[in-house]
Amino acid sequence: MGLIKKLPVYLEKFPGGGIVTTSLDYVFSQSQASSLWYLLFGTACCAIELMATGASRYDFDRLGMIFRASPRQSDLIIAAGTITKKMAPRLRLLYDQMAEPRYVIAMGGCTVKGGPFYYDSYAVEKGINHIVPVDVYIPGCPPRPESLLEGCLTLQKKIKKLKIGDWS
Amino acid sequence: MNRDDLIKYLLENHPGKIELLDTGKVEPFFALNKEYLLEFCRSIKTDDILAMDFLCNIAAVDTGEKLEVVYSVASAKNRIRFDFKVVMPYEEAEVESVQTVWAGANWHEREIWELFGINVRNHDNLTRFLLPDDWNQGNPMRKNWDAPDFIRMPEL
Amino acid sequence: MTQGLRTEEFLVNMGPHHPSTHGVCRFLLTMDGEVVVKAVPYIGYLHRAIEKICENRTYAQCIPIIDRFEYCTSMSCELAFCLATEKLAGIKVPERAEYLRIIMVELNRIASHLIWFGTTSLDLGAITPFLYGFREREDILDLYEMTCGQRLTYNYIRVGGVSRDIPSDFIPKTKAFLEKFPEKVEDYVRLLNENPIWMVRNQKVGVMSAELALSYGVSGPALRASGVKFDIRRDDPYSIYDRFDFEIPTGTNGDCYDRYLVRLEEMRQSAKIVKQAIEQMPEGEIKTKVPTNFKPPKGEVYSRIENSRGEMGVYIQSAGDSKKPLRLKLRGGSFNQLQVMPEIVKGGKIADLVAVMASMDIIMPEVDR
Repeated sequence: MGLIKKLPVYLEKFPGGGIVTTSLDYVFSQSQASSLWYLLFGTACCAIELMATGASRYDFDRLGMIFRASPRQSDLIIAAGTITKKMAPRLRLLYDQMAEPRYVIAMGGCTVKGGPFYYDSYAVEKGINHIVPVDVYIPGCPPRPESLLEGCLTLQKKIKKLKIGDWS
Repeated sequence: MNRDDLIKYLLENHPGKIELLDTGKVEPFFALNKEYLLEFCRSIKTDDILAMDFLCNIAAVDTGEKLEVVYSVASAKNRIRFDFKVVMPYEEAEVESVQTVWAGANWHEREIWELFGINVRNHDNLTRFLLPDDWNQGNPMRKNWDAPDFIRMPEL
Repeated sequence: MTQGLRTEEFLVNMGPHHPSTHGVCRFLLTMDGEVVVKAVPYIGYLHRAIEKICENRTYAQCIPIIDRFEYCTSMSCELAFCLATEKLAGIKVPERAEYLRIIMVELNRIASHLIWFGTTSLDLGAITPFLYGFREREDILDLYEMTCGQRLTYNYIRVGGVSRDIPSDFIPKTKAFLEKFPEKVEDYVRLLNENPIWMVRNQKVGVMSAELALSYGVSGPALRASGVKFDIRRDDPYSIYDRFDFEIPTGTNGDCYDRYLVRLEEMRQSAKIVKQAIEQMPEGEIKTKVPTNFKPPKGEVYSRIENSRGEMGVYIQSAGDSKKPLRLKLRGGSFNQLQVMPEIVKGGKIADLVAVMASMDIIMPEVDR
């Protein structure tokens, strides 16, 4: 990681080096955004909508996203479903096992701030903000597949603005 | 067997141990004496006319004054269904396990032990079940339970 | 060859996050090579305390929460709760509302079996049935969206009836769906029934005898595949099921293949019920008037319905002077089916555990609540 971060600094010392770094930024961020592979992490109702978004009518594959079963092979967690106090350490473990650059989408009301289980529940984590750093929030209970696609496109827009040194 | 025949049959065969409550709608609801729980369950399962071989549900209730454990049973062959409950004060929160009669009672009883604090005698595996492994805040389904991060919904 | 070798048993953790565990369920397996010696399930990763929440909500406010108890068949959950409340308070539901409820619940049964079909084949390695099943399901979700605006958790069935009437487009579109549905089921049959890989992975795997199933409280298609012809819609009828003509499929061996065949046949029978209900439905009101401060009298009731995963039961106790239930206990079919799983996977291979879990159709919120 250290060499990648120092690369733009070295390149800019050469004449015309600025053009090379901008083109490299462009190539890397475009290729990253166009092929995000997401981890199959669905606990509750939003998992069914996640599966429906990956199925025939609303297709995830046209955005370049396919599901992977292992965190080592993915670079996006779509946390779909309620996270309880018993499950929270496992989510953190999965996030730690992913290789950088990695992103998190919080899908559904339960991951934003507890959802319908905010009041009167003794076992629900009210939001996943304090467990993993979240990039995009998608509200809804459950959010429609179009909302989920919009959230993924927002994440792609966010990634395309990143430069090489910003990854982590 | 219709409702009145069922009530008559049960009250005749188990005199003194069981009484009919008036809180049950449609299906009859009985209150059972706690000491005869295991014996009653065995007899309704092996009885030829009743043959209650299917345990639907075990629920524990905290009414604010006492604890109750409600058993709902059914028969797959004879189309009969009724419920009965055992009542106990808070100090004697203990009940006998019926897992030797219906094997499916095992997990139901583990749940009432964990969430209500009702001890179950002769159960083979009373361990942590639904709550996190390091839970140390008591029995959450009791009416007088509270915790710092438990937010109650405000009255509208 | 293994006679001189010293073998040891080892522990494998099939963790809460696993693509085939249908939710978050953890198994601690003691293995001897590839053979499972002992399997211990650990649950509670989705325990959201629905029963505690419902003790602080009025009866109408409980319905969106109970929707999320078993989200694949939300209409059935709402129906179970509303039937129990109406039994407690003695409320009569108008005719048109009864028919609408039956149509919605049976369509929901088909949708839930399509989810089961898709995820089971995905677990065993076949990806095409997943896409086919979800394609059919989208048609049913279009019908729901037309009526109540939601695709997954509906908040449609209320105490005393249903919340709104169907639009004028509903019946023609349902009839069109029911026209083409049987040939889609024939597609599935042609894909999988005689497929040698499917048959080898499912026949004689996870055999459950009828006595074992009854003593553990297993119900629904898993019980019927073991040979016990017990269906609550026929044997303990609720609502207006006694007016419809449908068959109850049963199996003989109690293995995964029989459970698969029973569920495929149930999809066809549900389509038959919806057709009859559309023809018989009268005009009229859709909801009895229930007071805003609805306080049912003192009493307790346990009412049960036949869900696509077994028996779903609701126990309500009401104190008599309050708008909120004193105690609400939910019972799902998957709870008992997960309890019987360690008995039937002993001695099989670990890949068979995946096949058994998929064929029992367990989803975790019913177990954990």
